[in-house]
Amino acid sequence: MERRTPIFIIASPRPRVGKTLLARTLAEFLRSEDRPAAAFDCNPGEFALVDYLPGDTAVADITETKDQITLFDQFLAEDRVPKVVDVGHSLFDKFFTVIQQIGFVEEARQRGATPVVLFLADGDRRSRQGYAVLRDRFAHLPIVPVINEALPQAIRFRDDFLGTRTGGAPLTIPALSPVIKGVIERPSFSFAALAVTASDTTTEFYGWTRRVFLEYRELELRLLLAELRPALKFSA
Amino acid sequence: MAKPAVILVGADKGGVGKTTVSRALLDYLIAHNIPTRAFDTEFPKGTLRRFHPDITEVVDLTSTADQMKVFDSVSTASAQITVIDVRAGLLSTTLKALRDIGFLDAAKKSQLTFGVFHILGPSVASLDEIAETSGYMGELSYFLVKNFINNTTFFEWDPATYNAYFKKIKGAQEITVPKLNEMACEQVELASVPFVSFVANKGIDTQSANYSFVLRGYVRHWLGNVWAEFDRVRLNDIVGADASRKNQARQERAG
Repeated sequence: MERRTPIFIIASPRPRVGKTLLARTLAEFLRSEDRPAAAFDCNPGEFALVDYLPGDTAVADITETKDQITLFDQFLAEDRVPKVVDVGHSLFDKFFTVIQQIGFVEEARQRGATPVVLFLADGDRRSRQGYAVLRDRFAHLPIVPVINEALPQAIRFRDDFLGTRTGGAPLTIPALSPVIKGVIERPSFSFAALAVTASDTTTEFYGWTRRVFLEYRELELRLLLAELRPALKFSA
Repeated sequence: MAKPAVILVGADKGGVGKTTVSRALLDYLIAHNIPTRAFDTEFPKGTLRRFHPDITEVVDLTSTADQMKVFDSVSTASAQITVIDVRAGLLSTTLKALRDIGFLDAAKKSQLTFGVFHILGPSVASLDEIAETSGYMGELSYFLVKNFINNTTFFEWDPATYNAYFKKIKGAQEITVPKLNEMACEQVELASVPFVSFVANKGIDTQSANYSFVLRGYVRHWLGNVWAEFDRVRLNDIVGADASRKNQARQERAG
């Protein structure tokens, strides 16, 4: 059985909640698994993902129809390459309105892809509203809340973002100490290289990367299980 | 069998999207399996015909011969519904001619169904058109279509004035045609196919095409909204298509 191609859409209506870090680590996780992803940086005016993954990242501004055509046609290319999309907070409404209007989710499914939204949660009211709106508008789209423990009061708002039936339980990104945060913000830093080449596996760096990659692996298993569930039901 | 129906789509002003609404209307009727024919009065070249060549004929409604061709055949044509895309400036003239030949009286006596889709532009002149056109309509189906497809803002309209006109017209119903993405609109124009074919990625002669998925999505979304408006005003009931289909189903069951 051929696996469906994931299209990870990383989004939040709020700035500075860790979208680009999530997009970057996810793309690097896929690379470390020998499944390099095509990444898309949709942050007009403040492109960041492209600085970290220049070779794998295309820059897109979906405010123009011409760019939407280019972008969505690439998402739907039947090339079996996973896609990681970093959607800027200012384009949150626009992006999901376009997706809904053009029937993207249904078309992607028909073409063997599975769009998944990774929603970066935070304590702001707009974040809760954005999450509720997405769940309401896209009943069949897997939406997975992501709790970034580096955000203030992450413990408090965690309960506002319960998992969904289609997306499952929230993912957790652990907090990093400020010193190490400074290191990973260097464009030349690679999580995938660290995971493969680290000689000392007791460092905070390594532990953090390992834990985050484990979260992604569990997410992938969850998606795989969702794909297999109809067949498993049938065989039972 | 349902009564024959005639639907005029027109406005006295040009460039308000009459043909676009006619195209969406033809797509709607065809999708509902209602036998339909159309007349394009952009004589001699025709615009509507480019999109629906199989069911559309170009006529000159100012000529008596063509008026006979269109209106004398309403009851005898195999198509139940006749849609006429009336050229700019000819709506009032056509209604006057229909009144003079007794066509509107026949409709009022329920011998046939008659409706007008009056496409409104953003200028105040459109309000005067409503007053003039409604004079011919009486109790007949009169639809005022606010067409936003070209991003019309209706900025010149004072809502109070508009309502004053609108409320005077007994039985008139308002239809809103939303804006369609410019590039999608342009691509369907270039493709010269019905909206439905564009959505289904089919070219002329139904061969497979390669239209952008994004643009097809925009057109599908827009067309869905337009058809929802047609459903809301119960267009199917008005043209008697539902009754016709129920009769046909009953006959099939009995047979």
